[in-house]
Amino acid sequence: MLSLLLLLSVHSVGAQDEPIVVLNETDTIRPTKYIAPLIEQPKLALFQGFTLSADILGPVIYLLSDYGSTEAALRLNLKNTYFPIVEVGYGKCESTDIETNISYSTSAPFFRAGIDFNILKNKFMDNRLYVGARYGMSSFKFDMSGPAMTDPIWGGSAPYSYHNAKSTSSWMEVVFGVQVKIWRNFHMGWSVRYKQKLHIGHPSYAKTYYIPGYGTTTDTSCWGGTYNLIFDLNWGKKKQNKTPLRPTSIGGKNE
Amino acid sequence: MKRLLIILSLVALVACSANNCPLENTVTCNYYFYDREGVAVKYGETFSVTTLLPGYKTVYIYRKLGYTTITTDRPDTTYINAGYAETVSTARRDTLLVNKAKDRTMIQVPMSYFNKADTLVFTYSSISRPDTIIVEHDSYPHVELPECGTHFYHNLRSIRVTDAAIDHAEIVNPLVNNEKKENVKIYLNGVAE
Repeated sequence: MLSLLLLLSVHSVGAQDEPIVVLNETDTIRPTKYIAPLIEQPKLALFQGFTLSADILGPVIYLLSDYGSTEAALRLNLKNTYFPIVEVGYGKCESTDIETNISYSTSAPFFRAGIDFNILKNKFMDNRLYVGARYGMSSFKFDMSGPAMTDPIWGGSAPYSYHNAKSTSSWMEVVFGVQVKIWRNFHMGWSVRYKQKLHIGHPSYAKTYYIPGYGTTTDTSCWGGTYNLIFDLNWGKKKQNKTPLRPTSIGGKNE
Repeated sequence: MKRLLIILSLVALVACSANNCPLENTVTCNYYFYDREGVAVKYGETFSVTTLLPGYKTVYIYRKLGYTTITTDRPDTTYINAGYAETVSTARRDTLLVNKAKDRTMIQVPMSYFNKADTLVFTYSSISRPDTIIVEHDSYPHVELPECGTHFYHNLRSIRVTDAAIDHAEIVNPLVNNEKKENVKIYLNGVAE
């Protein structure tokens, strides 16, 4: 008989199949090695397709106020993480100040380019939470007119009316946004944008009041937002997003 | 997520920004006084500034031997009763811009919207001759924002002065707007003690 009785019983506990080793007190504990289940990190192909989106908040704002815009965006999906984006839109403003009776009107296209970064840890999710940055610019003409200007001391009067004043303006945006899957490739989402002017071109007789794509220049910076209808275009996307699992191995391999 | 909240908070702080309407609503050309050596001075003489306006007006001139000639816009019978001889004449219309100023380091004077040059006449309490300053300028309307209203801005082109109390004058900032910067240096005769 063995001087040392080794009683080794292995039980199945739950789904983990962890071995339970019962030893006598006099037994020496031999080192064991636990090998964790190996799951190979899934691979994401670099190119994940394109995303088309359209903003529906801008037209609603235009219906409720003096200005607004409509825009669409084409976004490239790289590894579900990086999203280079191009946004093109059309902004319009027709405003008359109640107190000064000065009118400003413009309508022109605008352009933005930038990149979004998906900050969710799980890049395989169809929902996205992202931060990003944009460079925007618009080259446009505006009309401005107001009451006649009268010299209170020397006398004389002249109308204040200018048409087709040219301006080329640019700005930067910091973007925070959310995008959730609604059905198949159709998503909806919103973004909040902090905008900072870079260059505002204007003639000597008037400063630019509204910049298409930026908004009003009443403050040195402004906030904006979009509510997007988004459609994922997966054509050209390689089907490499496989998550091959190696068989789970449990070992009591002794050294 | 905590990092994201910090970033958003910082963005919100940066977003606090000011309205672009100018604090000063009036546009004036700002004249600062210096002595002949260029030292800023507080001008102790009592002086008034009038500017010539377009057109002419009727003036009544009263003269009496041994007395100062008096010019008024309206007839005054008290001078006739006192032995003055009345002469009716015409003179350029004018208006008072600065009235009996004293101990001033600077004056703010409006500019005309549609004239190519403004003529300012400085009259002094203790100097018999007045000084005339002629400022040539270009003017253009300007709207900062529709809510701020319209203003006329000016670009100073040249300045000429007479020499009763003024040595010379110099344009230091030709753009006249509502930023209230120093536009013209007036160098007075004499040196500050």
